[in-house]
Formats: sequence, C-alpha cells, structure tokens
Amino acid sequence: MSYAYLFKYIIIGDTGVGKSCLLLQFTDKRFQPVHDLTIGVEFGARMITIDNKPIKLQIWDTAGQESFRSITRSYYRGAAGALLVYDITRRETFNHLASWLEEARQHANSNMTIMLIGNKCDLAHRRAVSTEEGEQFAKEHGLIFMEASAKTAQNVEEAFISTAATIYKKIQDGVFDVSNESYGIKVGYGGTAAPSGGRDGSSAQAGGCCS
Amino acid sequence: MHETEQHDLSDDSDYAAASRHHAPGGIMRTDSGKSTASEAGGSEVLYLKDNVAIHPTQYASERISGRLRLYKQGSSLFLSWIPYKPSTDGAVDSLGHGSSSIPVEKDRSLYTIKSLPVSDVHSIRRHAPALSWPYIIVVLSSGLAYPPFYFYNGGVREFLATLKQHVFIVRSADDSNVFLVNDFQDPLQRTLSSLELPRVVSVANRASRHRSDLSSSSFDDSERLNGASYDATASTSEYSARQKKFHDPARDISIQVLEKFSLVTKFARETTSHLFRESHNDGLNAYEKKQQTDYGSLKPISTSDDKKKDSNVIPVASDPLEFEKLPLVWGKQRMHPLCLEEWAAFLDSEGRILDSKALRERIFYGGVDQNIRKEVWKFLLGYHEYDSTYAEREYLTSVKKSEYEVIKSQWQSISAVQAKRFTKFRERKGLIDKDVVRTDRSVAYYEGDDNPNVTILRDILLTYSFYNFDLGYCQGMSDFLSPILYVMKDEAESFWCFVALMERLGPNFNRDQSGMHSQLFALSKLVELLDGPLHNYFKQADCLNYFFCFRWILIQFKREFEYDQVMHLWEVLWTHYLSEHLHLYMCVAILKGHRKKIMGEQMDFDTLLKFINELSGNIDLDWTIREAEALCICAGENGAACIPPGTPPSLSIEPDMGLYPQEDEVL
Repeated sequence: MSYAYLFKYIIIGDTGVGKSCLLLQFTDKRFQPVHDLTIGVEFGARMITIDNKPIKLQIWDTAGQESFRSITRSYYRGAAGALLVYDITRRETFNHLASWLEEARQHANSNMTIMLIGNKCDLAHRRAVSTEEGEQFAKEHGLIFMEASAKTAQNVEEAFISTAATIYKKIQDGVFDVSNESYGIKVGYGGTAAPSGGRDGSSAQAGGCCS
Repeated sequence: MHETEQHDLSDDSDYAAASRHHAPGGIMRTDSGKSTASEAGGSEVLYLKDNVAIHPTQYASERISGRLRLYKQGSSLFLSWIPYKPSTDGAVDSLGHGSSSIPVEKDRSLYTIKSLPVSDVHSIRRHAPALSWPYIIVVLSSGLAYPPFYFYNGGVREFLATLKQHVFIVRSADDSNVFLVNDFQDPLQRTLSSLELPRVVSVANRASRHRSDLSSSSFDDSERLNGASYDATASTSEYSARQKKFHDPARDISIQVLEKFSLVTKFARETTSHLFRESHNDGLNAYEKKQQTDYGSLKPISTSDDKKKDSNVIPVASDPLEFEKLPLVWGKQRMHPLCLEEWAAFLDSEGRILDSKALRERIFYGGVDQNIRKEVWKFLLGYHEYDSTYAEREYLTSVKKSEYEVIKSQWQSISAVQAKRFTKFRERKGLIDKDVVRTDRSVAYYEGDDNPNVTILRDILLTYSFYNFDLGYCQGMSDFLSPILYVMKDEAESFWCFVALMERLGPNFNRDQSGMHSQLFALSKLVELLDGPLHNYFKQADCLNYFFCFRWILIQFKREFEYDQVMHLWEVLWTHYLSEHLHLYMCVAILKGHRKKIMGEQMDFDTLLKFINELSGNIDLDWTIREAEALCICAGENGAACIPPGTPPSLSIEPDMGLYPQEDEVL
C-alpha cells in the first residue's frame, strides 16, 4: 500500500503495563488478555490518514524487563514517536517513568515525540495513580498525555493518531529533514507500491546523499 | 579480523622471542631492538603493560597472559593485546606443542587483538573488586564486548590516563566506572554521528583507519554491483599471498581458519564439480533431479514476498559453500523419532544406558517419541546419569522430591505481613504471576481460566528463584519451563529438570547479559568463517552485534516453531551430539538460507530485525537442522575455535564463582 510518510514508533514502559495489548487494539481492534509475553521486540503496522495523507505507522513493541535493556536500546534508533506506558493500577510502573524517559532521551533522537499513556483506565476502582499526577509528570517533561484502556479501546486510537499528528506538524514546520531516515520518517512514493516502507532508497538517496 | 591485518606489527615475533626469555611476572620495558622495529613500522607505543590476562574459562589457572599496548600510527590510535607464547607459561614443552596447550592455543589466537582502532571503541568499563585484580571491559560500537582484561600488575589508571591524552573520553553520568570513548557531548556532533549513513561511514572508516577492505567494499562499488557476483576464492587467494609475506605464528585465527577452510572448500568443490560433470550428460542433469528428490523439501520456506522481489534484487556475492548454486554439503536424512522398543534396547536389565553416545546420535537424527520423552529428557538434561540403575533413579526421585518441598516451603512460609517488608520477594512474585499467565496459554495444557498447571508453573519458577536466588527470575524462563512441565507432568521432577537446564542456559539470563553477548560474539565469528560475504555485509550495514538473533538464542527458538517442533528441536540440541552449540549453527543456517534476500535488498538493522522476527512460523525445522549439521561438520575444529570456552550452553566449571558476579538486581 502506498503512503506519503512512514513513521517508526516504539512502545516502552515496565513489563505488564499493557504495551502489546495497546498495539493489538490499535492494529487489530481487539483485546487479547492471554497474549504471550514479549521477548525482544514485536512489530505491528497500520495505515492512518492525517491531513488527507496516508501515513503508515510501523510500531515496535519492546520487552519491558530491565535486564533486556542493553538489547532493547538498539531499537530506539531512528524512532519518530514513542508511547511511554504505565499502569494506573500499579504505582511502581509510574515511579519508573523517569528512568524510562532518561533511557529514551539518551538513545533516541532528541526530536522524538513522546506520548505518555496511563493504561488500564477501565480499572478505575483499583487506581493507584491519579490522572492529575500523570498530567503533572507529562507537563514537567514536555510530553503529550492521555489515559487509555487497551481493553475498552478508550483513547487508543487517539493516542497513536495524535502522536502522528504531532510528528506530522513537526514535518510541516520544518523541524525534521525528512530525507534523513534517522528521524524515523520515511517518505513514500505516491502510487508506487512500497513493499516494506519505501526503503528501496534509490530516489531518496539520489536526492539525499553522496554515493 | 582480517581487515586489521594491515597493521600487523613486524615486531611481534621479536617480542615473542623476547618474552620467552623473560619471566612473565615482571614489567618489561621495550628493548632497543623492538622499539627500532616499531619506529620502522611507523608506530609509536604510548602505553605498554605486561601481565594483562584474560580468563577463557573460569579456572583461574587457565588464564592467558599477554601484553596490552596503546600505540599511534599516523594520527590514529590503536589498542593491541598479544598473548605470550605458551612456553612463557612454563606449562608446556619448549616448542609449545604440549597436548594440554592445544585448546589454550586456540583461545590465545581467538582473543588476540592485533590492532583495534580506538575509534571502534564505544566505552570502557573499569572494575576494581576488593578481593581480586582490577579489570576492564572494552565495549565496541557494534555492541559486542571483549572478555575482561585483568591487570595483574595494575595499571588501569595509567591506561585510562594515556587514553585520555589522545582521545575524547567522558565518564558516564550513570556509572562512574564507565568511560565513554568518542562520545560527542556537542549535540550537533551527536546528531551528525547518529546519521550513520552506511556509505558515508564506511568511506570515512576506510579513510581514517587505513583499512585494506578486501571485500567489504564490494557493496559500495558500483562496478561490482553491475557486474556478476564476485568470487570468494579471490579473497582467499589474497589471504594466501599475505600469509607468505608475514610469517607470524600468532596471527589472527580467522585468517588461519579461512585458509584451512578454503582447502576444504576447494576439495569439496573439485569433488562436486566432478560429480556434476559426470551427471551433466543425461539431459536435464541427474544431479538436479537428485536434488529435487533428495533435497527438494529442504529449501527454506520462501514466502510469496520472496518470489515477488527475486526479480529486482541486486546481485550478491556468492555463497562460499555453494557451487553452481548447489550446496556443497548437507546433513543426513532425518529419521523417525526414537520409539519405545528402540529405547528399551538401549537399557540393560538394571536400567543402565550402555551406549549413551549411540543413544544421543540416534536422538540427534530423529528426536524422541512423545510417549517416552518423560523418561528420555531426564537423561538428556543431565538430571539422571546414563549409568544409573532403575533403583538408583527411583531413590533419587524420592530424595529430590522432598528436597524440592523444602525449598518450596521457604517462600510459602512468608506471611503477608512479612511480604510487606520484603520488596524483592513481592516484586519477583508479582513478575512471575504476571508472566505465567502469558506463557503458552494457547496450548491446551495451559489454557483456560484458573488452570492448575499455570499455578504449578508459577510455583516452580518461584521455588527456582529461591533455589538460585542470585539468578532469580527473568523473562524467558517460563518459555523454557512450559514444555518441561508439559512433558513431565510432575512438579518436583519438572523443577529438577529445569534446574539441570539452567545449569547450562542460566547465563542467558545474567543481568549483564554476558551469556548472551558471548553467544552473539561466537555467532559473528561463525558467520565470518562460514560465509565471509555475508559477514562483510553485516559489517558494512552496522549489524555485527547480531541483536536480531537475540530471541532465537535467548529461548532457543521457542518462539519460532510450533510447540511440538520446539520439543523436537530441544531434544536434538540437548544431545550435544556434534556440538554443544548446534543452535548457533542453526542461526548461521537460517541466515545463509536468506542471504540472497538480506544482501540483495540491502537490509538495514531495522529491516533485518523485522525480517528475522517475521520468519517465526516460517522456518523449515528439518531443513534447518540438516543445514546446521552440515555447517557444523564443515566448520569442524575451526568452527569450535570460534566459540569461546564457557559459552552457554557449555557447562561453566565453577557455577558459583562466576567471573561475572550478579549485580544486586532490581527484580
């Protein structure tokens, strides 16, 4: 399928906060509570439309466990957007946000758009982190914030799409040099079938660089 | 690595001779002859330290001592570590050919660093344990790390100070013992360095490192791309020419390996081409027909995607193990699984297995019938001794059962009030609770709400984390335990089988990932040996860390095959029949199976990772095992030499005294 842009996203956050479920809800519109735990990384993709332009989101769903971080770091490179997820029913997943953010800032592009998501908001009766705290954290660190539920699909669509809209706006504002793929953005070729994301860089590289 | 050969220092043999005459203990200054040689070679030694050692195994006595140097050549800084000749260790005869030295000799060459451009170094971690010698770990930009260098005569501080005078070093903000080399603080420079356009970088590398780049340049070279694929023999003949030029016994093993290997290849080629000519006469070539019948089912699954793109791929360097597109070697035809009758024939009247090697060979080629797995796995995993009797095993089972109950009762007796003040326990239990409900729930044995088998998984993992508190629990363990419990259907037996498996694979879950890094390192060496062009491709695409094979190795292909295939594969791997590291040869086999696509489409790291992930469920297991077998036999001792001793699943010799002590874990 052709697209105007392809954005690379990563989903990060503690283990068990619902990263894979958010992805599945977004790509397949279903909730699967017995999803296998993620080892390394899993991929998902979906087309969305922003400003009448087809945009492909390629989403990397990473393993949350601490000891895999030396490996998962290599996945940050060239991501345009990140969903940083915590579980509103488990305080510690909120407490670890600062270290995730540090990790992301260190290993990702400094222009990466980060969306903070308080997941499992359907479990309001077990809430351990208030909405205000989430908002406050996001404000302090310059993140976009939403509470969402992978189970009920509440705000899932919005979270992925508003992140994309922010990235899109940065492109329009000239923040990114889109010919440089390290920003996690690839330009598609209208009409041409671009198999795995237009990485057949013939024209991009002809315009972009030396060789 | 061969590209560093150009920096082959002509003084090495001098220095080796000199070190034979000196006691290994003292710090030795360069003698005059040596420094003259250095100057003649245009290099200036800035730092030199003797008795810097590595430990290939956990036996301290097996340390390999050598000399660490920093030297400057032109404007570039290089690091070298050259091990002493065997005779200086005093353990072997004067020629250094004592039988005991053979494995050590291999390590000596394997770990030799001829000349590492310091620009390839990402960071250096310094350790100064209170009760041991200080050591450093050098981490490369590719993500790979060298084994620790122990400074038996001290000198870490001087080393870092010397480095600091010549390259930009900063202390990591996270860990004051980590020194980042070539780390650009300037955000502009950081951005520039993060561009990492492969072409730009490889050109820059060549310029700054004076590399000869025998073959890695072929992918940048448009003439080559337009022409036919280049012949791997061209590069091997270049190696031979170089070998004549420099007679250095301590040269990098990869060169020797390639040379020996090229002989094998040549021999096989001649044989094959002979066969090929013979059969070429009868019309549509009997060889090809044979291949269709014999080998037809053994091709890697090609997705429709594959076929679609085949038409516009860039010509890629040919597989050194292929001749006229036909593989030179392949594994034996797979057999049916070992059945009950055959199994019974391996046992004597008291239940001993007389010929364990024959049994392992049989299982290697066919696996085991589901109905006898419960018995056979206990031997393969090492829980039962092959020469034990029925009576001994029965006794062991009962002893082990109560031993299990004792360990289990340790965490069961932790009250809710106690747990409140025991964060580590709560966290660990919470993590296990979360993970067992996300493990193989689509397998009937574990499906449905409140499945008691899921609870047993939980109990075993939590008990294991008390049995081995330092290792604890890490994600991936439940993937290993699930088939074991499925086969054993018994909690205590499953626990002890899992314990036996973790004896070998526990290091996969080390906090510092050392077990994984050593396997990824060995894999990169194996690919370099068995498919030079592919290795060169990964190198220029900045993919040498092999992180894209992480999941394959961490849980031994558990997520790549169906459940019953995984059980089959594991029992084949557990035989350790041809190698303890057949799984690494499987990685090579699969990568080689897709080499044309990987190189033809010039996959970058992201694309490759995604591609490898998506192979899950599309890998032909029998084909892969046969290919791995063939590669393993083909590589022979040279292959074994690529794998550092102690690389999982090799047994570590002193499991409780590891060189990589577990850091205080978070979970």
